[in-house]
Amino acid sequence: MKDIVSIVFRLTLTCLMAATVMGVAFIVTNKAKKHNEHVREERTMYALLGYSEAKPAPASVVLHQIYRYIITEGEVQFVSYLIPTGSGKPGVSNAYSLVSLDLQGKLVDQKPVAIDGEKIRGREDRDKAVIAVAGSGKDVRFADHTIIVTENGKRIAYLLGGKFPGFKTFIGVMLALDPQYTMVGMEILEHEEDPGLGAEIEQDYFKNQFQGKAFSTLKGLKVVKEPLPAEYQQALEGGIAEADMARIMEQYKEKDIYALTGATISSRSVTDGVKGMVKKFAYRLDILDKVLKEQQIAVSF
Amino acid sequence: MTNTKSIGQLLSRGILSENPIFKLALSMCPAVGISTTVMNGVMLGVAVFFVQVFSSVTISLFKDQIHPRIRIPSYTLTIATWVTVIDLVLAAYMPGAYAKMGIFVKLIVAFAIITMRLEMFACKEKVKDSFWDGVGMGLGFLVGMVVIGFVRELLGSGTVLGYDVLGFKPLLFFILPCAGFFVVGLMMAFFNWIEVFYKQKRGVRS
Repeated sequence: MKDIVSIVFRLTLTCLMAATVMGVAFIVTNKAKKHNEHVREERTMYALLGYSEAKPAPASVVLHQIYRYIITEGEVQFVSYLIPTGSGKPGVSNAYSLVSLDLQGKLVDQKPVAIDGEKIRGREDRDKAVIAVAGSGKDVRFADHTIIVTENGKRIAYLLGGKFPGFKTFIGVMLALDPQYTMVGMEILEHEEDPGLGAEIEQDYFKNQFQGKAFSTLKGLKVVKEPLPAEYQQALEGGIAEADMARIMEQYKEKDIYALTGATISSRSVTDGVKGMVKKFAYRLDILDKVLKEQQIAVSF
Repeated sequence: MTNTKSIGQLLSRGILSENPIFKLALSMCPAVGISTTVMNGVMLGVAVFFVQVFSSVTISLFKDQIHPRIRIPSYTLTIATWVTVIDLVLAAYMPGAYAKMGIFVKLIVAFAIITMRLEMFACKEKVKDSFWDGVGMGLGFLVGMVVIGFVRELLGSGTVLGYDVLGFKPLLFFILPCAGFFVVGLMMAFFNWIEVFYKQKRGVRS
């Protein structure tokens, strides 16, 4: 009996000490980790747009951040967009507005938000600012983050961040679309699929299959359980002449997605997730654009 | 084991005469699974080194407080704590390497070599000795991983630390997991041969 008490006491104490050490380590490293994630995200964005360290984006290319929030007040729901109304240049303190639409796509109100360009990236600061503007007694939920890329004031691409359920947990992706909603590229940011099976979704021969799919193709995109043709795989993985690659990619442009061997569910999750993201985004952006035009709200993009 | 081990003895024991991989044949899974390149070997080796040193010192510090019946759970908790700390630090400050190694760093919790050193050494010896024993064992593992990684990277992809040395890929076989066993086996033979040679020279025959 005495032993048990002593063992329980010692084990509890050990666990508490371990928890303290781990907690301290977490607090110390968390900031650096967040910063690195941010840097990585930025790099992924530019990579999707075709820029790299060797070929940096020209100054005329500007990324405009748009954050979508769902605001619930009793039974009524609004879709609110936190959009930049200033010049949109990075580093410059921008003016932001919270534009709220009702579910029919009509403008409810537009309120300026006091937050500067640096702080808006942090989830907590941003949420706080939106809640302050939305008023009390409302349920404010962050929905997603979209980036509109412009070059000399003309839209050249959209970047969509999003998460959808995979085989095990969530799969986080970043999509790049051109103004006609054709897929430019996809990057898998996070996932916990099985190594060797579902984890293959991050391989070029899978994720590049989405490249070049037009919006009309994307809307009806399915997964086929067929072996990936050898020439297509070569084209997806690169390493062959560019002209050949373009020709083969063109040939398979309207084909469905070839499932990964042994990971049909993961393949289907990614396909459906991407399809849903693009469809919803196109729908929402059309509504938002219409409202902004009708109400003559000056925005930076 | 006597209490009168010098630092040099403790260190050389970990690296040579009781090298975790080549002599004790512990923690073979990571040695075989990850050591496809020198860099992978270095990364995991460094992680194991720190976990080993920290755990050895911690257990040695608290050896009188650890109830003998819950030794192993206590060791596991200690190791898991330090692995988590190393994991967090790597994720925060070396994201590039972490993306590749992350999944294996968490596996260090289950490495036989660390638990074995705690059970065999740290729970009986002084803190200072345990520290040097941890350093020796950690370095031994690091050296082992680097040597295996070097052989496999050179023969498998023709590179060293990512730099193209040979200009061609001699044998893809060496990248595959089975070749890990092959290389470890050869290294064991080599280390044993050195020991035999060394002992004969000294005139010490077993």
